[in-house]
Amino acid sequence: MKKLATRQFGIVSMLAAAGLMVAACGGGVNSTESSAAAPAASTAASAAASEAAPAAAECGDWGVAMHAWVGYTASAQVLTNVAESLGCNITQTTLDEAGVTYDAMEAGSVDVIVEDWGGGRWQEWVDRGAIQEVGSNGNVGLIGMFVPAWMAEEYPDITDGANLNKYADLFKNSESGDKGAWYEGPPGYTTIGEKLIAANDLNYKIISTGSEAALIELFSAAAENKTPALGYFYEPQNFLAKVPLARVNFPANDWTDAEKASGLTDYPETPLQKLATTKLMESGSPFASLLTNFSWTNADQNMVALDIESGMTPEEAAQKWIDANKDKVDAWIAAG
Amino acid sequence: MSQAASEAGTASLLERAKGLLRRRGILIVLVLLAWIALGAVLKGVNTLALPTSENTPFTSVLREAAASIRGNRTESPAFVYFFNPIRAFVESFIELIRAVISLPSGDDIIPAVGWLGVVAIIGFVVFATSTWRTSLLAMGMLLLCGVLGMWTFTMDTLAMTLGAVVLSLAIGLPLGVWAGLSDRVLAFLRPGLDLAQILPTLVYLAPLALFFLIGTAAATIATMIYSIPIAIRITSHAIRSLNAGPIEAATSMGSTRWQLLTKVQLPMAKRTIALGVNQTMMAALSFVVIAALIGAPGLGKPVVEALIIRDVGDGVVAGLAVVFLAIMLDRATTAAVVRTGNFVHESGSARIRRRVGLGAAFTGAMVAVVLSRYELWAAVFPEQLIIGESVSSATSAAAEWITTNLYFLTTGFREVVTVGFLNPLESLLSNTPWYVTIIAISLIGALIGGRKAAAIALVLLGLIVLTGLWNDTMVTLAQVLIATVIVMLVGVVVGVLVGRSPRVERIMKPVLDAGQTLPAFVYLVPVLALFGPTRFAAIACGFFYAAPIVVRVVADGVRDVPSSMVEAATAAGSTKMQIITKVQLPASKRSLMLGANQGLIFVLAVVVIGGFVGAGGLGYLVIVGQSKPELQGKSLAAGLAILLLGVVLDRMAQAGAERRREQGSA
Amino acid sequence: MTASVLAPAEGDVAQNSAISVRSLWKVFGPKADTVAGSPAADLSRSELLATTGCVAAVRDVSFDVAPGEVFVVMGLSGSGKSTLVRCLTRLIEPTSGSVLLAGEDVLKASPARLRELRRTSFSMVFQHFGLLPHRKVIDNIAYSLEVNGVKRDARYRRANEVIELVGLDGYANHYPEQLSGGMQQRVGLARALAVDPQVMFLDEPFSALDPLIRRDMQAEVIRLHRDLGKTMVFITHDLSEAMKLGDRIAIMRDGAVVQMGTPEELVANPADDYVTDFIRDIPKSHVLTVRAIARPLRPEEDSTGPEIDVTTIIRAATPVIIGAGSPVKVMEAGALVGVVTSDDVLRLIGTDGGDSQ
Repeated sequence: MKKLATRQFGIVSMLAAAGLMVAACGGGVNSTESSAAAPAASTAASAAASEAAPAAAECGDWGVAMHAWVGYTASAQVLTNVAESLGCNITQTTLDEAGVTYDAMEAGSVDVIVEDWGGGRWQEWVDRGAIQEVGSNGNVGLIGMFVPAWMAEEYPDITDGANLNKYADLFKNSESGDKGAWYEGPPGYTTIGEKLIAANDLNYKIISTGSEAALIELFSAAAENKTPALGYFYEPQNFLAKVPLARVNFPANDWTDAEKASGLTDYPETPLQKLATTKLMESGSPFASLLTNFSWTNADQNMVALDIESGMTPEEAAQKWIDANKDKVDAWIAAG
Repeated sequence: MSQAASEAGTASLLERAKGLLRRRGILIVLVLLAWIALGAVLKGVNTLALPTSENTPFTSVLREAAASIRGNRTESPAFVYFFNPIRAFVESFIELIRAVISLPSGDDIIPAVGWLGVVAIIGFVVFATSTWRTSLLAMGMLLLCGVLGMWTFTMDTLAMTLGAVVLSLAIGLPLGVWAGLSDRVLAFLRPGLDLAQILPTLVYLAPLALFFLIGTAAATIATMIYSIPIAIRITSHAIRSLNAGPIEAATSMGSTRWQLLTKVQLPMAKRTIALGVNQTMMAALSFVVIAALIGAPGLGKPVVEALIIRDVGDGVVAGLAVVFLAIMLDRATTAAVVRTGNFVHESGSARIRRRVGLGAAFTGAMVAVVLSRYELWAAVFPEQLIIGESVSSATSAAAEWITTNLYFLTTGFREVVTVGFLNPLESLLSNTPWYVTIIAISLIGALIGGRKAAAIALVLLGLIVLTGLWNDTMVTLAQVLIATVIVMLVGVVVGVLVGRSPRVERIMKPVLDAGQTLPAFVYLVPVLALFGPTRFAAIACGFFYAAPIVVRVVADGVRDVPSSMVEAATAAGSTKMQIITKVQLPASKRSLMLGANQGLIFVLAVVVIGGFVGAGGLGYLVIVGQSKPELQGKSLAAGLAILLLGVVLDRMAQAGAERRREQGSA
Repeated sequence: MTASVLAPAEGDVAQNSAISVRSLWKVFGPKADTVAGSPAADLSRSELLATTGCVAAVRDVSFDVAPGEVFVVMGLSGSGKSTLVRCLTRLIEPTSGSVLLAGEDVLKASPARLRELRRTSFSMVFQHFGLLPHRKVIDNIAYSLEVNGVKRDARYRRANEVIELVGLDGYANHYPEQLSGGMQQRVGLARALAVDPQVMFLDEPFSALDPLIRRDMQAEVIRLHRDLGKTMVFITHDLSEAMKLGDRIAIMRDGAVVQMGTPEELVANPADDYVTDFIRDIPKSHVLTVRAIARPLRPEEDSTGPEIDVTTIIRAATPVIIGAGSPVKVMEAGALVGVVTSDDVLRLIGTDGGDSQ
């Protein structure tokens, strides 16, 4: 073992030394040369290089958390593209929502969440001084339970949550057994299905879905084949423009029974939050002021999301929106 | 006369054994019937079902503990002087490697060494440690990763893997050597090593993130925790299984203990230890992919993204890159192992030829490194060569075709298993009062594995009740059992085929190799596409993950049946089927039991991952806690429950195997 | 018949012995150290196991080996001979007794002193060779010099000398795997000779070899012994090997020495049934010297026959005896011991193997 190891390490260290020598000789492929010809290199670096290379040092290297849903991708990509045009070096990291990402922010591997639905789960990290709230991103979220539009037409009263028991048989399948199947949001999403079922004495069984994509597939199939489906969804989400869904509204319960009181009667409308590390906000980087000013509407987000879903890369879709909305982007930058 | 008597004695003994078995079988059926009957009468009573969002006293305690650990991160001395420095060290170590091959360095937009340089260096290192053939293969595999458009991700994964392996070996080899030399050290380490074999990978991500947060450091440390036990185990085995003769001889010549170790034991164990390095590396690679969940850079990222957006094509492309990288690392290290054990005198001219070859290869590699620093085409993988997107869309189209056209096959099979087997079993396990289920399982444990197995089952299942996650555990158990049965059915059939026919083995070997090197995570994506977010998807994952190892163990067992036995049976006029069922399978019973045990453990490890594809149960709870701090206690408790369940299954399967062996020898 | 009757008495340490072993015990089991010297010491193997749970692998063994002597320990497997030889070098730690090597008690040596003794004073050859597979022949042979800190040039010089000595020329750079069993054991011999030891211990060195090769290697050992005059303790289970090589032989059974003596003494006067059984297949004419069948000259016989030395093996003397027309005179230091005729030889050969029918 020793012999082999020594030999291998010898070779490797020899190479490393040689490599360092080459590095010391200076040169290398520098950024300006490569920006045009090297699309495969990190887009971050090439964009930075082509537009404002000199400012790179000013803005710095920052990490943006990426979450699973396409609306988030739209927001994060637009933010990234604009930041890179300011000379920032942005690394995107895909992570589960909330806790995991807050930990990543505390560890310093990620700096920004551009759209958080978490309803204050971050408080502990804010208290520790790792994270700061940066205000709303302009989007307003509304979560709910949805059925395909054809069901709302065929059974008009199904959109009233109180009537769901009447239709439970329609939603039975092999996963739910003798109850109706209630497709809940992915693990990281804010969900209160259990409470809704309990509060309204619904004869439904919660089926966990691993991802938002599973829900999209569920509703797509339900719309196409006219099969029943009851599942978790939310706005803003451009999917609703492609496959119309009807929201099932739950009654404001009479919480006279204190035991049943949960404080929630249905998902409320939520202004979506931007979060950032204290490190970023106190750095004086132009990225910090960009993030502070970043704000757009549900319609803006849906536009980019739709382009992404119809086959553009997120970078292309974001750039298309940026080019078409110079005034809004300029306002984010100018206000800083 | 006396011979006749002894024959009669043997016959009656056999009869008694058969009677015992039959009686045991009847007893097991009786217990099952009683269980089912009680379950029907008491359905829904005392099932300990707990809504996901609710905590138990135990999970609340864990949640508080987790919160207080988080709260202490900035100031507590444990963090300031222990965890944080470790995190900083590991992170800078990995970043150092990444800076060479994957991260843009300084003002450059490319890493210090571009793709051509990396390919050349690896080609040279592999050539130097093994053969030029392997070297070509390794370079080819790397290029394929580039062609798939995964170069930078591949380099990140490579950097993470190599970094984690170096750190793991730095800890694992010395400990392994120590455990190989000292019984006391081995006894001390053994419980940990055994647990590490059972513990599903997903389970320790969360607790680790508590201490090392999220990012490269946490991912690397998690990877190390996974691979260090493997390094220790194989190293200590390597030392312990050495031929005693040379060691005694060296002692008789007056070696000190240190001389004995460095001049005799380590050199002799070199080959097995090198095999351990290979195993450690493969384990690290598969874990690095999963560690994307806690912020590991690399190929795990596109896999996770593909999983989330259910893009089969992207998932398969990233998965292929993982496979290519795995093949590269595996073949390179295996070839090095083969060379390591080659104690053959080289002729002078062969040595000179090799030296010249090495020199030329080194020069070539240096030229390539220089080129990759000055020439763009050698620095950044050329766009024109990348076909990742076409592969991705072709795969997606194929998957689409299967899901639409073979809908009845995939869905049909899923529905049969779900309605016919999974639902009744899950209902029996989770809708029956917990105490009935525990007693029933313990009784069956007693009948299969004896008093010890029963006691273990009783105690550990009791502990699961205390975690408050009994119901979720039963949901997971149902999936594990169904998946194991399917895996055993298929594994035995295929394993017998592979074990009997060298031709089938040749065909299956690459499939089995790929299956064993592929991180479980990677086939979540296609499985999800085929079966939707169902419990069956988790079962299918478990199946795909465990099948290769079961096939391999069964095939080895069948192959190891002495050929004289088969010859005797053939001479007695047995048909092929009779030889299989009456000779080969019974003779390889131990392998079958081992296969079942391995199958159970492997299935459990992956069924947990099924939480990502809608399988519910403990896996879902583990994942939920990652995002929702208020449920982190439950997530930690779910990890504990998985561990307890794993130990129960493992011990019961082993006790059963042991007992069978005892009866066999009696 | 117990060993102590035949062995030198306690305290009677031969002054010039190369090795002197006294009351050596090796007991495996619980409280092993209490067995020697207690009443349990006289129990049989099975009784000892039943009453104390102990197994005595070596029980109360004493012997002396003269410098330059080849001392053979022989016995069936399980008789304790391999344990005995390992106790002498402390590869197995004896329970009690003493082993004097040139007057120094090996059992009292400190670990450092023991290592030094092993590096310089005695060496061992093993049944399964025990070569280091990862080292070339020359590095195997030079191993004990290497661990003793001898510089590379010096130890290679010495190793090359020994390589020549045992007929391994041209194989210095081979690895053991590339050699046949016989050649491997030559490496084993060379390795043992490399340190120029006072005593060599050979533990069934040829048992793993084919019969023909074994014969060659036995001849090799005889040659080396003739040339170098090393003191050897040779373990074997093969009586003919023992007879061929041994100046004296100790026969072991159940850990104890049953009989000790020259081959001739053993064949002429087997101490008990066990030994008798052992030697029954040995042709006496191959072992006994003419002394054993010499008788006084009868008055009617011719006294002008040829003379032979009293130490001549009968087999070797047979052509002379048969060829001579008159009785052959057996001489010792110029004095007549007796005479033998072909009739005497035939009578002896006639009893050979007769027991075994």
